[in-house]
Amino acid sequence: MPTRQKFDHELEDLRLKILTLGKMAEQQIALAVNSLMNQDLELANSIVVKDLELNDLRADIEETCILLIATQQPFARDLRKLVAGFKISIYLERMGDLAVDLAKVSIRIGQEKLIKPLVDIPRMSGIVQEMIRIGLKAYVDEDCGAAAEMSLMDDEIDKIYSGVFGELKSIMMENPNNVTQANYLLFASRFLERLGDYCTNIAEEIVYICNGKRMDLNE
Amino acid sequence: MKAHQANRFASILLWIGAVAILALLVAFLALILGRGLPYLTAEFFSGSDGVRGQLFNSFYILFLSLIFSLPIGLGAGIYMAEYAPQNRFTDLIRLSTESLASVPSIVFGLFGMIVFVNMFGLGFTILGGSATLALLNLPILVRVTEESLRAVPRSYREASLALGATMWQTLRKVILPTALPGLITGITLVAGRALGETAILIFTAGMNVSRILFDVNPLAAGETLAVHLFAVKSNPLPGTNSDQIADGTAALLILMVIVFNLCLSIPSRWLQYRLQGKNRG
Amino acid sequence: MDKIVVKELDLFYGEQQALNSINIAMKERSVTALIGPSGCGKSTFLRTLNRMQDLTPGVKIIGQVKIDGQDIYAADTDVVLLRKKVGMVFQHPNPFPKSVFENVAYGPRIHGETDKKKLSEIVETSLKDAALWNEVKDRLHESALGLSGGQQQRLCIARLLAVGPEILLMDEPTSALDPISTMKIEELIAELKDKYTIIIVTHNMHQASRVSDRTAFFLSGDLIEEDITSVLFTRPAKKKTEDYISGRFG
Repeated sequence: MPTRQKFDHELEDLRLKILTLGKMAEQQIALAVNSLMNQDLELANSIVVKDLELNDLRADIEETCILLIATQQPFARDLRKLVAGFKISIYLERMGDLAVDLAKVSIRIGQEKLIKPLVDIPRMSGIVQEMIRIGLKAYVDEDCGAAAEMSLMDDEIDKIYSGVFGELKSIMMENPNNVTQANYLLFASRFLERLGDYCTNIAEEIVYICNGKRMDLNE
Repeated sequence: MKAHQANRFASILLWIGAVAILALLVAFLALILGRGLPYLTAEFFSGSDGVRGQLFNSFYILFLSLIFSLPIGLGAGIYMAEYAPQNRFTDLIRLSTESLASVPSIVFGLFGMIVFVNMFGLGFTILGGSATLALLNLPILVRVTEESLRAVPRSYREASLALGATMWQTLRKVILPTALPGLITGITLVAGRALGETAILIFTAGMNVSRILFDVNPLAAGETLAVHLFAVKSNPLPGTNSDQIADGTAALLILMVIVFNLCLSIPSRWLQYRLQGKNRG
Repeated sequence: MDKIVVKELDLFYGEQQALNSINIAMKERSVTALIGPSGCGKSTFLRTLNRMQDLTPGVKIIGQVKIDGQDIYAADTDVVLLRKKVGMVFQHPNPFPKSVFENVAYGPRIHGETDKKKLSEIVETSLKDAALWNEVKDRLHESALGLSGGQQQRLCIARLLAVGPEILLMDEPTSALDPISTMKIEELIAELKDKYTIIIVTHNMHQASRVSDRTAFFLSGDLIEEDITSVLFTRPAKKKTEDYISGRFG
């Protein structure tokens, strides 16, 4: 006879909430980059408002984790799931915050003509979104192989970022009038680079759930 | 609702039972003591037909019978409770004690007469009487001892043994002191029975009192109070007021048993309270 | 240093085997917790360490239990001395129906101590070590059965300490106590660890995780897993251990 069914249901509910939070974060990032590309201020503003929902959901997840630790007093894998789930929710919320930062960049740039066609930023965003999707699936399947593989994708982001950095630097040096917008774009790519790091952190948590080992995947 | 009514009904029934016991005892005491107490004068004890000899004999026989039965009874009981393995042999011993306990006392009396009075040729003696009485009480003593010892929680034994005590130390310092109240109750029971016993003593200790007052010679004949009561009532001597003597003796016998029981059970209760830690407040 | 080393220990109740080839070592001045479901053999195992298991009729023990390098099942072992060295605390507090003082003095007395002054000293030290002195110093001569359950259990620990043991075996020492008394005993265990080697059987896994340095998981007479407590409770190596400690059995 299966035991602790109630606890298992509660763990499943927690997992669904984290999954929801993850999907919301991914969408916020996608929309933020869209608003930047299309210079859509309305969309950018809606992202800032939407972030409140992510914060609320994150607080709800935290509450659930604390309650389950206090009442179910979990050990071993259950304990790891709760602790890791708690941390993943924090990372996802921060990713939401970075999406807001991206949106703010597009607000700052406003309708000003872009100094260059945006190619690398959507590429980085695409990789981050892919990482989130793989990460969420690996979290649901508790598949540490997939999580570790996902973390490798961060290397590509880092590479693109250093390319963007060089490119923007030379634009700034060429024409001082472009410095402000170039800086904003540099911020934006920096935010995306940070998003990749958070994905890697999430991958570490998934590995911890699987085998209880702490691994540094940011190498 | 039905269960509730049944519950009330049972409570009332049980209460009636308990009260009936009390009422019976009160009625009994009132009758016996009411009739007998007026005759309990100095004359009754030390007059020409005085019962002081019988009174002494009762206690003397009781004392001797306990001397005979206690070591064997306690010993066997302790063995059965603490040392004996559970097997057919111990089952047999237990069965034997139970059978012995249910033998009618008159049969013990006849047995005592055949063995002590006739075979050993002692005649009617205090010795024969107390020895036979001891036989009667032995099975009960074994039983009571075994049960009081078994009532001592196993955890006390474990605690003592785990501290490195031997079985004998455990027995002496923990089990016996704890079982003492139970043992005293058992001895009281046995003693009460011995004080009131007639059938055995008529056949073994006889119905005469030594002419010497307080004769400690165990080979003298020794009529006890209970036997005296039987003798006076069943075979009244002409010229004596046998009814009065019988009433007085009965009252004395009752008083004696009550006082004797109290003497043992009050210290035992006190001990028990002390052991249980209920002496506070 | 290993205080207790158990090698290939088998135990039979008649035909039935209750312990299967147990191998374990316990370090000096550490706390080892034994956990597992009822009937898994953990209490049985505990009782082999002071040979209390010998008291059960029909028990057969094969294998080695070495304490300080001495096989306690060797023919020349003095069980009295062994039990003086390896004391035991039981599931239900079992003080004798004697005064507090007499309870603690019982052990030293049976081991031959008669000097009144020395006995008083031993009683006081033991009660202090068991964190009970302040609560009972004014009622040393009252019955121990008048103490609360938690106090009785600490009295039993004091009674044990009075004979000067080196190893303390505790068989579910708090399962009959309320949470506050339980915490006091746990605190006490943490203090006693500095002087004694402690082995505790407990059904309360959180207690095991709180008080012990190492934990051993028993199941159906087998020692399934033994490891550092923090490791065993966060990432056990064996599936059976995982299932048991996360409450998903069968």
